[in-house]
Amino acid sequence: MNASTATATSPLRPPGSAWPSRAPLLLLLAVALAVPLFVRSATYLHILILLLLYAYLTTSWNLVGGFAGVLPLGHAAFVGIGAYTSTVLSLQYGVSPWVGMIVGGFLSTLVGVLIGLPTFKMRGAYFALATIAFAEGLRVMVENIDRLGPFLLNGPRGLQIPPLELGFGRFMFAEKEPYYYIILAMLVLAVGITWAVSRSKLGYCLAAGGEEPEAAQSLGINVARVKLVAMAISSFLTSLAGTFWAQFTLYIHPKSVMSLDISFEIAFIALIGGRGSIAGPLLGALLLRPVSDFSRIHFGDTLPGLHLVIFGGVLILVMLYQPRGLQEPLTRLYRRALARSAGMRERG
Amino acid sequence: MTLLELHRVSKHFGGIRAVEEFSLEVQAGEIVGLIGPNGAGKSTLFNCVAGVFPPTSGEIVFQGRRIDGRKPWDLCRMGIGRTFQIVKPFASRTVLYNVTVGAFAVTSRLGEAERWALEVLRLLRLEDKADMRAANLAIADRKRLEIARALATRPRLLLLDEVMAGLRPTEVDEMVAVIRRLRESGITFFLIEHIMRAVMALSDRIAVLHFGHKIAEGAPQEIARDERVIKAYLGEDYGAA
Repeated sequence: MNASTATATSPLRPPGSAWPSRAPLLLLLAVALAVPLFVRSATYLHILILLLLYAYLTTSWNLVGGFAGVLPLGHAAFVGIGAYTSTVLSLQYGVSPWVGMIVGGFLSTLVGVLIGLPTFKMRGAYFALATIAFAEGLRVMVENIDRLGPFLLNGPRGLQIPPLELGFGRFMFAEKEPYYYIILAMLVLAVGITWAVSRSKLGYCLAAGGEEPEAAQSLGINVARVKLVAMAISSFLTSLAGTFWAQFTLYIHPKSVMSLDISFEIAFIALIGGRGSIAGPLLGALLLRPVSDFSRIHFGDTLPGLHLVIFGGVLILVMLYQPRGLQEPLTRLYRRALARSAGMRERG
Repeated sequence: MTLLELHRVSKHFGGIRAVEEFSLEVQAGEIVGLIGPNGAGKSTLFNCVAGVFPPTSGEIVFQGRRIDGRKPWDLCRMGIGRTFQIVKPFASRTVLYNVTVGAFAVTSRLGEAERWALEVLRLLRLEDKADMRAANLAIADRKRLEIARALATRPRLLLLDEVMAGLRPTEVDEMVAVIRRLRESGITFFLIEHIMRAVMALSDRIAVLHFGHKIAEGAPQEIARDERVIKAYLGEDYGAA
């Protein structure tokens, strides 16, 4: 049955009606907050941190890749810029990684806008290819230079962060729990921003421009400009994850923070979960991250990259049967259950 | 007051002269029809006015300001709305969402934009389909949605590109009524239309385009009697009728 026929009643919905649709997200948050109390194993916590990290990355990516209707495949570049900026600043100048995180964020924003200026006029695959080319170019560049002006990058050997001083100010902890809560807070922030954007003029303009650019322009929307705004927010947020990643692993090199695999995995999670929705990236990360971790643990030596093969297969199935991602059937089921329980309450 | 002036507007695509030295004035509050055979250059002319591409030569003036070469989104903000011949709804979204996008041209707050969008939907009798997905609308409603969306931007001038094509006779009558009602509210219309019954009934003046040239302009009755128009477009039967 079609969703629209069921809801073709009162167009004036009360403003509070968005609330039940938020309930699952709040429930998820409550569970996420409680998880470290039960999960004591460092390995599992590590896997969960990566899950949240990818949910965060994909949520950030979704602002452009989901709402603006383009397919950026070079977001690893921003992860790399974030990781390198905060690490270089803290190693060479003793700047707190928290400050470096913000500096990296702005640097990524600048770079993101510079990439967006020429590429947002491209359509479909050309845009995707341009972003891949940029991110790969940046990675190859970093791999081949030891010094960028006064900054020591160390080429392919990367940078190690000696755990000399622990604590919140230095963004360095002996246990995994603080990292878990930091990335969870970042994710909540990113989801909050996405939610606010989706209900704002910017969100409407992005969606319109992504779906029918010519019509959007005729309605007063400078499509290229709203995409740039989305790109600025998205690259800023993505960059913060780079700093987090550097402080979490205490070792970064071009392959670990700028590789194409990161960009692809983000896109896989988004496409399978459902791009352009708030729940999609979360759902996608929840489903795909365990696959990628367990395939790495069990087949890391024999079949490296197996997870990407699995993702590819799943993606084909999802695109065939649920082109708007797995969030759609689930949202529909949830809405139906909600309607049914409301109906039962009325009768009872 | 003259709202829109076109002075010797030409548009060439390589060697093809789609529109050649077209001049026309549209007064505020008027409904001006543009007719002509397929490929005469009507949509090209509309696209020049709406800023999709600049004219090759000539001047377009709106409310006393030169507008040729301006971008569509600027023109929309200046008060020119348009619909597309091949409708372009935001298909995955609801009707209300579609119109709200237009309403955001006049406000930045979602609540206000949705309220205004609902008002526009009510004006076009689409309010009971507000929550329907645009993809599921029948063609008549899609055409209405095009108008509603453009209307939500509060235009002074509305360019309608064949909003009646594909409609049944009763739907055409409804659309004519809708456009008349909107004109009462102060909106000026410049419309391309092939359904003669509707153009003749609606327009204060009609311009006829043939191979890029304006071959006639005048009141509907004059156009219906014009020899060249009958030959080029209406056909002998229409003149006899």
